[in-house]
Amino acid sequence: MSMVAVSTTADNLPVPASGMAPLVLPTGAPQPGPVPGRPRAGTSTIGTLLFVTADFMVLAAIVAVYLAIKEGSVTWPPRGVHVGTYIPTMITITAVMSAFSMQWCLFAARRNDGRNAAMALGLTLFLGLAIMNLDWLTFVRSGFGFNDHPYGTLYDVLIGFHLLHALAAFLVVLMLAFRTVAGHFTGDRHDALRAGAAFWQYTNVVWFVVVTVLFILSRHG
Amino acid sequence: MAMTDTEVEEGAPADDTPPAHPVLDLPDPWPKGTDHKFVGSLFVAAALVFLLAGVAIALLMRAQLSSADADILGDRTYRQLFTMHGVMSVFLFLLPVWLGLGSAIVPLQIGASRLAFPRLHAMAFWLFLGGGAMVVAAPALSDVFHGWALSDPIPVKLGLPGQGPDFLLLGLIVVCMAAILVVVNILVTILQLRAPAMSLRRIPIFSWSIMVSGAVLLLALPILIGAFGLLFVDRHYGSSLFSGFTGSRGGNPLIWPRIFWFGAYPVLWALLIPALGVVSEIVATFAGRPLFSRDRASAAIAGVGVLSFAGWGSEVSTLPRARVLFVIGALAVLAPVASLVVNWLATLRMAGKEGDRDALRANFMATPMLWALGMVPVLALGLAASAVSALDAGRDAHANYWQVGQQHGLFFGAASIGAAAALSFWGPKLWGRRLSDAMAKLEILAVVGGTLLTVLGMPLLGAQDMLVHTSTFDSGDDWALGNLVVTAGAAIVGLGLLLVLLDVAGNVLARRGRVAGADPWGGHTLEWATTSPPPIHNFDALPEIRSGTPLLDLRTAQPWATPSDSDLVPEGQSS
Repeated sequence: MSMVAVSTTADNLPVPASGMAPLVLPTGAPQPGPVPGRPRAGTSTIGTLLFVTADFMVLAAIVAVYLAIKEGSVTWPPRGVHVGTYIPTMITITAVMSAFSMQWCLFAARRNDGRNAAMALGLTLFLGLAIMNLDWLTFVRSGFGFNDHPYGTLYDVLIGFHLLHALAAFLVVLMLAFRTVAGHFTGDRHDALRAGAAFWQYTNVVWFVVVTVLFILSRHG
Repeated sequence: MAMTDTEVEEGAPADDTPPAHPVLDLPDPWPKGTDHKFVGSLFVAAALVFLLAGVAIALLMRAQLSSADADILGDRTYRQLFTMHGVMSVFLFLLPVWLGLGSAIVPLQIGASRLAFPRLHAMAFWLFLGGGAMVVAAPALSDVFHGWALSDPIPVKLGLPGQGPDFLLLGLIVVCMAAILVVVNILVTILQLRAPAMSLRRIPIFSWSIMVSGAVLLLALPILIGAFGLLFVDRHYGSSLFSGFTGSRGGNPLIWPRIFWFGAYPVLWALLIPALGVVSEIVATFAGRPLFSRDRASAAIAGVGVLSFAGWGSEVSTLPRARVLFVIGALAVLAPVASLVVNWLATLRMAGKEGDRDALRANFMATPMLWALGMVPVLALGLAASAVSALDAGRDAHANYWQVGQQHGLFFGAASIGAAAALSFWGPKLWGRRLSDAMAKLEILAVVGGTLLTVLGMPLLGAQDMLVHTSTFDSGDDWALGNLVVTAGAAIVGLGLLLVLLDVAGNVLARRGRVAGADPWGGHTLEWATTSPPPIHNFDALPEIRSGTPLLDLRTAQPWATPSDSDLVPEGQSS
C-alpha cells in the first residue's frame, strides 16, 4: 500500500490559485504522477473478460431469437431434420481436452517452465484445428440447407459463431505460442498468456451453449 | 497501488526498464494519435458533425409538418429522413459524444496517465467513423427501413430491394462494435489505472456515471449487434427468421420489435446516465461543496443502470400478457432519476446555508451551471411524460406523438443539453480555451427554450392522436397549432446548436477564446490539478487523495469524505 504520510493540521494546506499547476502536497513533496507506459498486472485479462462478456450477449441475442421461434413452432426441429449426436459429442470432448491443455500451459507459465508451456500451447493448437474441422463437418453433414427453415438458419449461424471464435482463438494462441518460444513470458509476467487462455476458455463456453441449444434443447413436446 | 510499489520505489525512471515486449516496441510516429484526450476530442468532433446533419434532417421534417397539406418532402423522402434522424441522433451523436467525453475525461478524473489500451482506442475511433459513413451512405443506395427501430417493413422480404438496408445494418454493427471497444477500454482503465488511494467509491461522479453507462452499453449494445446481424442474414442470405409466419417453415415477425427494444431501451437510458453525472459534477462544483449525499447519488445512478433493463417491453405493442410487469419496470427506473434531482437541489440548499450566498449567486451565472440548470426542467418534463407513457405501456401513447415528445425530452433533450454542459465545463480543460460566456447565454436560451417548446408541443399532438409516422396532415385534423409550436421550437434549437458550433469553431479551433487556466471553475477533482490542455502524460504530479474531492480538500482543508455524509449529524451522536 503506497500511503503517503500526510500532515493533518488544517492551517498549512496550500490554497491553489486558479491557473497554478501542479499542486503541491501538504507535506511539501509532490506525489509522483502515474507512470506512463506500463499498466498494472492483469489488465489484459480484465479487458478480455469484459470483451467476452459483451460477446456473450451477442450469442444471448441469437439464442433468444432461436428460443422465441422454437416456442412458436409446431414441430421443432422441423420435420425431416435429423441432427446426429456423434460429431457434436466429439467436439465437446475435444473442447474439454483443450480446456485442460490450455490450463496446463498456464500452470507451466506460472512455474516459469517455458518448455512445458510451449508444448501445452502446441497441443491446444492441434485440438483447435480438430475443433474447427469438426465444426466444418457439422455444416457439411447436416443434411439441410441454410434457407430451408429457421432451424437451418440458426443452426448455421450458431455453429458459424463458434467456428469464427475458434478461428480467432486459434490465431491468438498461435501468436502466443510464437511469443512463448521467443521467451517473452516469465513466471511473474505473462498477462497476455492469461488473457489468451481466458479467450480460449470462453470459446469453449460458446460451444457448450451452442450444443445445449441446438442438440439438447432442440426437442420439444 | 502495486504499480507504484514495484516501479517507482527504486526511483528509476520508467525509461530504464527494458520493454516487456521487444518485438512490439516500435517507435510511435504519431503519439497524439493514441492520446485519449485527442481521440476523445475526435469522437466529440465527429458527433457534432453528425448532430448538425441530424438536426438539418429534423428541420426538413419539421418544415414538412409545419402546416397542413404541406408538400415539401413527399411521403417516401419523409420516411427515409425519419429513419436517418433517429438512427443518427442515437448512434452517431449521443453514443460518440459520451464515448468521446468519457474517454477524454475519465482518465484525468481518476489520476491515470492514459487509457488502458491506447491503440485500441484509436482503432475504435476510425472504426466508428467508417461505420458512421456506411450508415449515412445507406439511404443513397436504396430505400432503408422506416423508423429507427427498423421495424417496417417486417417481413423484410416483401419490400426494400437494393443494398441500402444491408449497408445500414452493417454500418450500425460496426458502430456498435467500435462503441463496445471504447467501453471496454474505459472500464478497464477505471478498474486498473486509478491513482493510489483513488478507491472506486472516491472516483468522481461523472466517472461513476460513465462506468455505469458503460456497463449498460456493454450488455445492451451486443444484443443490438446480434439482432442487426440476424436481420442482415435474413435480408442478404434469404432466410426467414423475422418473416413468414409461425410454423416449422417460417420465422416469426413479432420477434423483431422484441429483440430490438430489449437492446435499444437500455441503450437509450445508458445515453442519459452520463448527462446525470455531468450535472451532478457541475452542481457540486459551483455550489463549492461536495455533492449532497454522494453515496446515495452513486447508488441512484447505478439504480438507473440496473432498472434500465426492466422496461423494454413498454415499447412493444404485442406483449399484452406481460404488460403490468413492463409498466412497473418503466416506472421504477424513473425513481432513481428523480432522487438524483433531489440530491442536486439539496446540494444547492446546503451550499446556501453553509457558505457565502453572494458567491453562490455569482456561481449560478457561470456558463456550465446555466446549462446544468437548464437541463433540469427538460429532464422533469421528460420524466413526467415518461411516467404517463409508462402507464400506457404498449398502447396508444407509444404509437402517437406522446412517445415522440417523451423520447425527445428525456433521451434527446436532457441528454444533449447535458452533453453541451459537459462541453462548456470540460472544453477549456481539453482544449485550453474557454468558450464565449456571452454567446453561451444565447445558446442556452435557444437550446433549452426551443427544446421546452418542442417537448411541450409533442405530447399535445399526442393527446390529439397524431401518429408517430405521420408525414402530412390536412386542415381538418386540427393539428396545425401543435405542429407550428413544435416546428418553431425545433428551429430555435437548430439556431442554438449552430451558435454552439460557431462558438466551438471560433474559440477553440480558431483559438480566439480566452486562455483557460488549469482550474477555471474552482474544480473539485483531479483533472483540474494539471495544465489545460494537459500534457500527453496527463500529470507531472498528483495532489494527495483523501476523498472523492481532493482539490476541494486542499482548498478548504476539511475532511469532507467521511464514510457517511458529514452534513447530516445523526441523532445521539456528536461529530
